[in-house]
Amino acid sequence: MGRQRGTFLENYAQDMAIIRTRLQWAMLFIFLLLLFSCPLFLSDRALTVMTMIGIAVISVHGLNILTGYCGQISIGHAGFMAVGGYTSAILSAKLGWPFWATLPCGALGAGVAGLIFGLPSLKIKGFYLIMATIAAHFIIVWLILQLYGLTGGGDGLAVSRPEIAGFTVKSKGSYFCLVMAFACLATYTAQNIVRTRAGRAFVAIRDNDLAAEVMGINLWSYKLQAFFIGCVYAGVAGVLLVHYYAFASVDLFPFMDSVWYLGMLIVGGMGSTLGALFGAIALKLLDELVTVVGPGLSAIVAPQAAASMGLIAHGLVIIIFLIFEPRGLAHRWELVGAYFRLWPFSHEERE
Amino acid sequence: MARNKLALIACLVIAVVALSLFTVRSSYAKTLYVGGTMALTGAYAEDTAAVLAGYQDYVKYVNETKNLAPWRNEKFPSDISLELLWRDDELKPPKALSIYEELKAKGMLVFRCSGSPQALALKDRLFEDGFGAPSMATGPYLLTPPQSVFTYYPIYTDSLAAVADWFMENWKEKRKPRVAYLTADNAMGRSIVVPELTNYLKKVGYEFVGTQFVPLVPTSPPTTQLMWLKKKKVDLALGVMINPGSQPTVKEMVRLGMGPNQPYKIVFGVPAPGHTAVFAAAMGKLGDGYVCAGSFPPMDQLSIPGIKFCNDLQNKYHPGKQVTHIMYEAGIIEAMTQTEALRLAMQKVPFEKLTPRAVLENGFYRIKGLETGGMTSTPLTYGKGDIEGIDKVRVDQVQNGKVVKLGSWPCRHLYKRK
Repeated sequence: MGRQRGTFLENYAQDMAIIRTRLQWAMLFIFLLLLFSCPLFLSDRALTVMTMIGIAVISVHGLNILTGYCGQISIGHAGFMAVGGYTSAILSAKLGWPFWATLPCGALGAGVAGLIFGLPSLKIKGFYLIMATIAAHFIIVWLILQLYGLTGGGDGLAVSRPEIAGFTVKSKGSYFCLVMAFACLATYTAQNIVRTRAGRAFVAIRDNDLAAEVMGINLWSYKLQAFFIGCVYAGVAGVLLVHYYAFASVDLFPFMDSVWYLGMLIVGGMGSTLGALFGAIALKLLDELVTVVGPGLSAIVAPQAAASMGLIAHGLVIIIFLIFEPRGLAHRWELVGAYFRLWPFSHEERE
Repeated sequence: MARNKLALIACLVIAVVALSLFTVRSSYAKTLYVGGTMALTGAYAEDTAAVLAGYQDYVKYVNETKNLAPWRNEKFPSDISLELLWRDDELKPPKALSIYEELKAKGMLVFRCSGSPQALALKDRLFEDGFGAPSMATGPYLLTPPQSVFTYYPIYTDSLAAVADWFMENWKEKRKPRVAYLTADNAMGRSIVVPELTNYLKKVGYEFVGTQFVPLVPTSPPTTQLMWLKKKKVDLALGVMINPGSQPTVKEMVRLGMGPNQPYKIVFGVPAPGHTAVFAAAMGKLGDGYVCAGSFPPMDQLSIPGIKFCNDLQNKYHPGKQVTHIMYEAGIIEAMTQTEALRLAMQKVPFEKLTPRAVLENGFYRIKGLETGGMTSTPLTYGKGDIEGIDKVRVDQVQNGKVVKLGSWPCRHLYKRK
């Protein structure tokens, strides 16, 4: 976060801090207070939409680490979510494990799948890696459909709602709080991961992998680490999604979702934790807007006018951002923030 | 100038008043909503557009006439109007969920789930909130428990069992007929490759040969798979295919000399997604012998009361813009079911006290023998533990390029969820 003019850092602890001023702490506290009190004043619909946004935020953070920071483009993210979701669903439905045991297993399962499908990244990159990750999605879905006895195949698998200390997280409000807690945790850890040695290695690999290797960065290890971490996030998102519906089905993880997760990164700003957050919120809200506007448009033009409007709107927004603001909403936010930090006297005027 | 300004102001005032008069809905004070999610984006966009048109026309019909169907004497309450609420769920369960919450908040008392993924994701929530919902989803083996998503056509295994029953009744040779699955290579297509159906086929006297998979929409003719059937001397091929899959498959069959009227005798049977009406219109006599079970009657058979009703509605509300897709009937059936549930519920509970649960228990569960004018295989009957409205399977065949009804066979209820 930016500091106001005249605020100087005096030690390493201050320099490393994510939140640096009392005002920022106060703002964060108010934000969290408002966020977790949402169930008290928001409608069921708003809570549902926000829960979905929260799950998308977790997943996009993972993709951001993998693609935004490490430069390993993945269009198989929904597939890795499916691995996480199904791992949890199987452990829960078949073995009766509690949610708190199945969640880490789901995350770990997705991480291991990420490691396996991340292996080609050592040999291939760019377009070829995209193809490999697309293949990963379809292989995962195919496996789920084939392993009928374990996964329920096309019929899916009924899953119980999460239980915490005897309390079933059943209501929309309680599940919203659960998802938001994980979304906050995911945002915090994502922000920290990219500041670690591994995070800096990811950025070096993204910017120039040859130069990174020459500097002594172990490409094999760090690329796989990025795949593992990114897919662990996807796994957590998958687990939360499956338990939200109390049902695991391959239909919850369509291929196009992987594409839209990448779109969220583009819109929000690749290689920025804030960008992942903004992107997920922006595209999910656009989705809702399109849904609400559709019937109105169909009444004016034709029923078919509403058809595919979501796909078109998403595509258009991504194209517009790629052309006019390739650094995404996060960059816009920084510009606005910088403007207000310098207000009423701009840097140029001071000079 | 001052006069001009005054004239302009006067015109504006008149326009505003006139506009407000036009927008006042003085005729009805009470409104009930029908509708739900529609999958207008994706593989079922064309089908769903026809379903939506059916809903729209039926709502207009009830609001104008207060009748429920030409063959029914009951009336919808005159002081209550129907309004259609819908949203495009793009075939995505998460989107269907937020749509459900939105429409619920708007005061809907009944709902609609577009397909299986949406219905499976919503079924528990619908039941918890007491919502009844007709759906194009799969059958009771997946939708129960609980019991508030209602279907109006048979599941694929029961449909194919009916095709097998019909074929066996007409089998003349002494040897056992050989049967194989030739089905789409996706969840829908694979849903019939289950021991329950295979065991049934064996039980009624078939020799089961094996399974061949074809892409849902083949990018090249499935020659290898068809040659395999020929080599194994298969008499009846059963599979789940949509028309973009079944049409190229049957074309290749004809090219290879396979079919009921070809040198190599074989019959190909599919359940409802491969509607004969759509198939015959596209294939003509080339598709002769193709069998489809569990579908609706074609839209040109005006002798059927339900079809005549569909035709009359279209002529009345959008003449010249006829919806010829067979799923228009599904829209009429669903809207009719929702309206009937609301009407029945109002017999027990006053309008002001209606809740989704009241409509489920006093409406949907009390629908017994709802006559659909021949559009469904049998009149619809629902109740607690009975969410599959029909108990027979209609079987059609393409003969001389036209759809011919072969008859109805009982629902075998073969598939049970483990």
